[in-house]
Amino acid sequence: MRYSTWFVFAFYVLVSLILLFSFNTYQRSVWLTSANAVSSTVNEATSTVTGYFNLREINRSLQASNAELENRVLNLTNELQHIRAMIDDSVAYSGLPPRFGYVAASVINNSTRHPRNYFTINRGQADGLAPGMGVVDQNGVVGIVNVCGKHTARVISLLTKDQHFSVKLKGTQFVGSLAWKENDPHTAWIEEIPRHARYHIGDTIVTSGFSTTFPEGIPVGIVMSQVRNSDGNFFTLKIRLSSDFNNLGTVRIIKDNLKTELDSLRTFDRKEE
Amino acid sequence: MDNRTLHIAILFLSLLAAQTLICNHILLFGVAVPLVMVYFIIRMPVNMNLILLLTLSFLMGLSVDIFSDTPGLNALSCTLTAAIRRPVFYAYVQHDDRMKEIIPNIITLGMAVYCKYMLTLVGIFSFLVFSIEYFSFADIREVALLTVGSSLLTFLLLLGLDSLITIRRERR
Repeated sequence: MRYSTWFVFAFYVLVSLILLFSFNTYQRSVWLTSANAVSSTVNEATSTVTGYFNLREINRSLQASNAELENRVLNLTNELQHIRAMIDDSVAYSGLPPRFGYVAASVINNSTRHPRNYFTINRGQADGLAPGMGVVDQNGVVGIVNVCGKHTARVISLLTKDQHFSVKLKGTQFVGSLAWKENDPHTAWIEEIPRHARYHIGDTIVTSGFSTTFPEGIPVGIVMSQVRNSDGNFFTLKIRLSSDFNNLGTVRIIKDNLKTELDSLRTFDRKEE
Repeated sequence: MDNRTLHIAILFLSLLAAQTLICNHILLFGVAVPLVMVYFIIRMPVNMNLILLLTLSFLMGLSVDIFSDTPGLNALSCTLTAAIRRPVFYAYVQHDDRMKEIIPNIITLGMAVYCKYMLTLVGIFSFLVFSIEYFSFADIREVALLTVGSSLLTFLLLLGLDSLITIRRERR
């Protein structure tokens, strides 16, 4: 190769390396992501066609979720009537304003085969989205908003090797850290569960609620088995994820109305230390 | 726009669309991903200016990266593969002035030589993509499986595509 060719080659390699190493998971530029105007337009056009492919599976899953919610509403209504009959109180109680709000969005691009996976949704800053918000589908947790465009956003999928989520065994206070390690989009691992924790195969894993990203109790998966751990104080659980990441259709973005307040308290605590 | 430029532009856009809209969503048996974008480097004329080849290959990789949220990964793999394309070609073909003018395909190189040339480039490209993506010796088994699986799948797909193009041309 002549000198000019070497120079061009070195330049392209250097640009690629800069993109590869400095453009990490938490970067903020929207232009080099799938949430930019060109790729989101192409992806949205494609998803209007491919979106029909998995409707049968999504419909089945929504019906199951709907049936469970109807059942829960019925039980809670009965319980409320029973409690109202028992309490003889004239003081009106309006309750607190709801802490969490939801924004519905469609997935327009999705990947599950990389060590770090992302998906793109058709809602952005104009809809009130901001980086750090949790994303769920009808079955459970699916990711966290990473980069926001005006009308689109890129979400870090739960299927990302260096991303950890705080979770717990449902109905207990045993908290662990959710990690995805393999190329299988259906399984993940819960690390650092205390050794004295009691669990059964089939138990549900839910979000711990220890962050402003996800409320407590959102399903994440079901315990499949225990894995041996070199650390004697903790064990690792293998779980089957609730959400089907190959068929993500409609998702909801969670807005925590107390986020600013809680974050400022955390900052205050750090300053005090 | 001359015929050759139009041919290159159509090949670039169709391979970019095929890779980002179809192939990126395929993972066969957990170990095979079709990496059809490498066909762009394989099919460029042998005498193409190397700076132009490097630039077009880099742009192809970068475009795929933007659509797939893998910044730098495919851009680096495409640039490195484009840089070694000529030595790979002359590893199987003797230096000859007539050979400089050709576009590598089944007809110009013959089935055996073309298969060796294509399989080598596809193998190198797959290895680069997965070793850069995983970038860890701990995942060496995974990288090896994905490289072998993806190389074979891509090779078979591209060979099928080449045969279709050849049959159509012969009918004309």
